[in-house]
Amino acid sequence: MTIFSLWVINKAGGLVYQRNFADGLAQLTSNEYLVLAGTLHGIHAITSRLSPTGSSSGAQVIEGETFKITILLTATGTKFVLLTSLAEATAEVVLQRVYEAYSDAVMKNPFHTPEMPIRSEGFDARITSLIGAGQP
Amino acid sequence: MTIYSLYIYDRHCACVYYQDWHRTKQPKRAGEGGILNAVSQAVSPLTPDGAAPTPSAFTSPRNTLSSTTGLVVAIGEDPPVQDPVEHARSSTLPFDEEAKLVYGVILSLRNMVKKLSGRDEQFTSYRTSTYRLHLYETVSGYKFVMLSDAATEGLRFVLRQIYNGPFLDFVVRNPLVPMDSQVQGIDNDYFRASIDRLIRGLSVFN
Repeated sequence: MTIFSLWVINKAGGLVYQRNFADGLAQLTSNEYLVLAGTLHGIHAITSRLSPTGSSSGAQVIEGETFKITILLTATGTKFVLLTSLAEATAEVVLQRVYEAYSDAVMKNPFHTPEMPIRSEGFDARITSLIGAGQP
Repeated sequence: MTIYSLYIYDRHCACVYYQDWHRTKQPKRAGEGGILNAVSQAVSPLTPDGAAPTPSAFTSPRNTLSSTTGLVVAIGEDPPVQDPVEHARSSTLPFDEEAKLVYGVILSLRNMVKKLSGRDEQFTSYRTSTYRLHLYETVSGYKFVMLSDAATEGLRFVLRQIYNGPFLDFVVRNPLVPMDSQVQGIDNDYFRASIDRLIRGLSVFN
């Protein structure tokens, strides 16, 4: 029941927010996170085309042997991605809350440029109260 | 709950086997040269005279087991070209492109999971709103990929069963199948029938 990391990916596949909360996964450089976010963005688009039946969304949950990646795609194309342990049952709910915090603390902030990295103390504080302090 | 399809890839990224069950969106036939021979008659390119591809040669020519003896062979159901099924295929991808996309996705996700975990951890599955993809990779680099209903639990054990059972019996122990050849798939009647029996016997099938 651990939340490792939260990413926000803009509609072009760029990583605009990334924060770690617990140890357990590898510590990567910010450049590596950028590359992984771009990859995830591409994979997400392909997975919706591979549906064997009817139309499909992109990948919603990706599982490894010890952790999973839960993806929330919003109507505007922004993706919220949560890396958690396999047993974490609340990932979807947490992502919905993060989306709310994003709407309140980022989208309503007149000093924020859309699609650009999120540097907002208000958003940071909301995430801290939602998920925990973790690592800066 | 149901099972949609099974892909097997070798360590050279080539699709060597394909079979499907309850797929409603059928892939178009692969283009000429798009896939190896003997992957699946259902998706192989048509021969130049428009006929369906000939059956795999990996079943012994002295085959005394015909379908009249009770052996269930799940192939040879190729619809004629003007069939409605073929018509419905027009909106979907050709099989060779689909196979490459599936391989690209599992390879990228596999690398991503390895990188994120920092360990030699395997990617096991992903789920979308309508289907779930499961991956099992053998030590020799063969990748077994299965698409099932989104509601099914992990099916890696089934892929393991396919590897331990039909794959070893009818591919590895079949001297007529050239493994790792890069020109031929591994399709043969016994392998196909055996997998079909195994999958249809699962509780998640139907």
